[in-house]
Amino acid sequence: MRIAVLLSAGRHAVSGRPAPVPVELQAIRLAHDLGGEVTGLHAGPDAAPLKDTLGHGLPRLVHHRITVADDPLPSLAAALIEGAFDLVLAGRTGQGGEDTGLLPYALARQLSLPLVPDAAALAEGPQSGTLSVEQALPRGARRRLVVHVPALVTVHPAAPAALPFAFAAARRGAVEARPGLVAPRAPTQIEERPYRARPKLIAKAAAGASAAERLKAATEAASGGGRLLVDPLPEEAAREILTHLRDIGVLRSR
Amino acid sequence: MTDAALSLSVVVLALALLAAAMMVRRARLWRIGKPAKVDWMAGLAALPRRYLVDVHHVVGRDPYAARMHALAAGGLLGGSAFAALALIPPLGASRLFWVAITLAFAVALAGGYMVGRRRIPVKPPRLSGGRFQRLPFFLAGYSLGAFLVALDAALGGAIWPLAWLGLWLAAAGGFGLVLQIDRGPMRHAFAGAAHLVAHPRPGRFEGERTTALLPLDLDAPRLGAATPSDFAFNRLIGFDACIQCGRCEVACPAFAAGQPLNPKRLIQDLAASLQPNATNGSYAGSPYPNARPVAGVGGPELPIVGTGAMIHPDTLWSCTTCRACVEECPMMIEHVDAIVELRRFQTLELGALPAKAAPPLMEMRYADEPGGRPLKARTDFAAGLTLPLISAKGGAEVLLWLGEGAYELRYGRTLRALVTLLHRAGVDFAVLGEEERDCGDLARRLGDEATFQRLAAENIATLARYSFKHILTADPHALHALRNEYRAFGGDYEVVHHAALLDELVATGRLPVGALAEVRVTYHDPCYLGRYNGEFDAPRRLLDRLGLERLEMERSGKRSMCCGGGGGAPVSDIEGERRIPDLRMGQAAATGAAIVAVACPQCSAMLEGVTGERPQVADIAELVLMAADAVTTLQPVPAA
Ligand code: SF4
Ligand code: SF4
Repeated sequence: MRIAVLLSAGRHAVSGRPAPVPVELQAIRLAHDLGGEVTGLHAGPDAAPLKDTLGHGLPRLVHHRITVADDPLPSLAAALIEGAFDLVLAGRTGQGGEDTGLLPYALARQLSLPLVPDAAALAEGPQSGTLSVEQALPRGARRRLVVHVPALVTVHPAAPAALPFAFAAARRGAVEARPGLVAPRAPTQIEERPYRARPKLIAKAAAGASAAERLKAATEAASGGGRLLVDPLPEEAAREILTHLRDIGVLRSR
Repeated sequence: MTDAALSLSVVVLALALLAAAMMVRRARLWRIGKPAKVDWMAGLAALPRRYLVDVHHVVGRDPYAARMHALAAGGLLGGSAFAALALIPPLGASRLFWVAITLAFAVALAGGYMVGRRRIPVKPPRLSGGRFQRLPFFLAGYSLGAFLVALDAALGGAIWPLAWLGLWLAAAGGFGLVLQIDRGPMRHAFAGAAHLVAHPRPGRFEGERTTALLPLDLDAPRLGAATPSDFAFNRLIGFDACIQCGRCEVACPAFAAGQPLNPKRLIQDLAASLQPNATNGSYAGSPYPNARPVAGVGGPELPIVGTGAMIHPDTLWSCTTCRACVEECPMMIEHVDAIVELRRFQTLELGALPAKAAPPLMEMRYADEPGGRPLKARTDFAAGLTLPLISAKGGAEVLLWLGEGAYELRYGRTLRALVTLLHRAGVDFAVLGEEERDCGDLARRLGDEATFQRLAAENIATLARYSFKHILTADPHALHALRNEYRAFGGDYEVVHHAALLDELVATGRLPVGALAEVRVTYHDPCYLGRYNGEFDAPRRLLDRLGLERLEMERSGKRSMCCGGGGGAPVSDIEGERRIPDLRMGQAAATGAAIVAVACPQCSAMLEGVTGERPQVADIAELVLMAADAVTTLQPVPAA
């Protein structure tokens, strides 16, 4: 199986120094354990900080050189098409760099690949050409899905720990540099503000109740009071979702 | 000279030649090792003193063994040399000369008896069986036989039938001994001598405590040791020098805790793997406790560590690098160097670390701190105290190195006490604040030399920007790194441990202390302060100055037992039957002390982690602060 692991130029959450993104190192581990030919892909101005990923079990790293002003999406999409990968792994979110966590979705849309988010484990699927993905759901729940490859899978921090760093492997490894595609980013309307931690919302029912009740409310699955539909017709499901979105005010009723 | 005597001389000479051939055969195996710089002339010249002074200093801790060895080795070598010399006609013809030979073999016989008495009928578990159990019989046979021949020659052939019997006995026993040169107990005699000459740390014989790990060249084609041929040749000689006395095994905390480490077996596994098609089959000492299965095969170019090799990785990662084994070893073997060399390969080349040891190294790589905590937060413990920053002052007499312990609540209390005392004594001090990175001790012990060297270089660059007279620290691991290990990278500092400084401040009256009520206290020596740096007295003096009743544990000073906190053992967390700190706390409780005085953040954390009824754990600084408070409450100092 040909596997591509997308690597972003991350930063350490505390020191702010360039550092590999832990969940992407876990993606390398999943690819490594699955076996096959694994390639790391990065599109950006500088891949030097990513060289350490070669010490975490990544055999090969290809760097598509673009400027800061370029959108990495076209370069990566081109590289993925050219490489004819069966499986593309990406982190669930980036860490600290330019990443928004949307790139895998944008890539999947552009390449018309199915996307399975939040994998905690991967295995060969029951038939050839399929992949079995164990998805990490909130509160430790797991769900197993089988997808046809090629597919794009994002990795969840609940996946097995990254392979420990081997200095000599990183030292020996080389980064293959290739020119990326020039694709100036469309000017964005995004407003930038310093991050402010929001107070955690505690379930309303528990406010003012005893400590034990508050703990229960905070830890128990918040049940939104929805309805469980098993195998609904697509139209019915869509209707239900729309109703729900209107109820909670996300969509305005028209 | 009787015919039997002449035959004995010939037999001894023949045995000596055979022995020499066996030695050469074994010594040729050492050539698989890497070259090392050895001052042969100085080593040879120093050999007698290294043997008679340094080795016997260690051997003498067990007086029985010292006497036994002096008699057996002295008698055997002396008697044999004389017997060979008797081939020179005037000597051989002298009956007086044969009296001397008789006496020498009588001494050897007495030594041989002691060797046997020590293992028969009951062999202590630390001694090896197998070939070692046959040693007393060969010794006795050879020396008794030669004794009879020599006695007969001294008496002028009066007991000649006994002499001929003796000759056969001597030949058989001597042959048995010579055959033990290759792989048996007699190997230690010549490998031990060679090891003393070519010792990798000759400073140990000059009264230095050379305990700093040697720097690794990070550009070398292979980092660390994977196979026996990756070790320097004089390290291989060291492995061959082991006499399997088991003193290291008795001292090893990991062994006592039932973790799969036995330093004696480790050295034997290394020595066994020197030869092609090696197996560990002939080892007959105590095993690794709860040994993990391994194939037990090796060779000069085959891997040493792994389930398919000689040594299981869990064995390697159980070591706390406490150096208790090195301290006890009469053959001056450097176990810790070997273990770190093997770890370096596992970590740097294979990335094969225990799962829980990898994250702290990763945090150190990208955040300069094993917990991944902000460097700014290191001084949080001092909230409410004045903690001058050296960047604000530009310089200070004393630079206080806080260390990793500063992030922990428990050790924060100790550091608060220390800072308070420094203020009270009017010491001009400052801290680096967020410019202090981890000293890299943990990385280095876990084999991550790359991270250690980077941290060392960056810390040295930071320190170079400020002026200070010396560095003060309450962390012996940082002390050891800064004082001894940074030197190889260009950092030369005078580093003081807080116990030494407080001792001086109290002694000179700069820090007035009152007497604490007669509390019984026992002092736990941190390995990195005591064995690594030879500082045993200052903390004890200081405790005595506080009016405490000081009790010594069964193991203290340079023979002290580790708390289990060094060498990355807490993060490697190899499973055993007991916990090392529990064992140590048991020894502390056995003294009847109410307080265990500690002087290291690791010891403090490990010993505080012991549950149940036990003595209190208090750092020396906390005790001094209590005593200093006692003086201020008793006799208020008049305002100046
Ligand atoms: S390594 Fe040293 S202390 Fe241990 S058994 Fe061998 S000779 Fe004795
Ligand atoms: S250094 Fe300490 S833990 Fe390691 S083998 Fe020696 S005695 Fe055992």
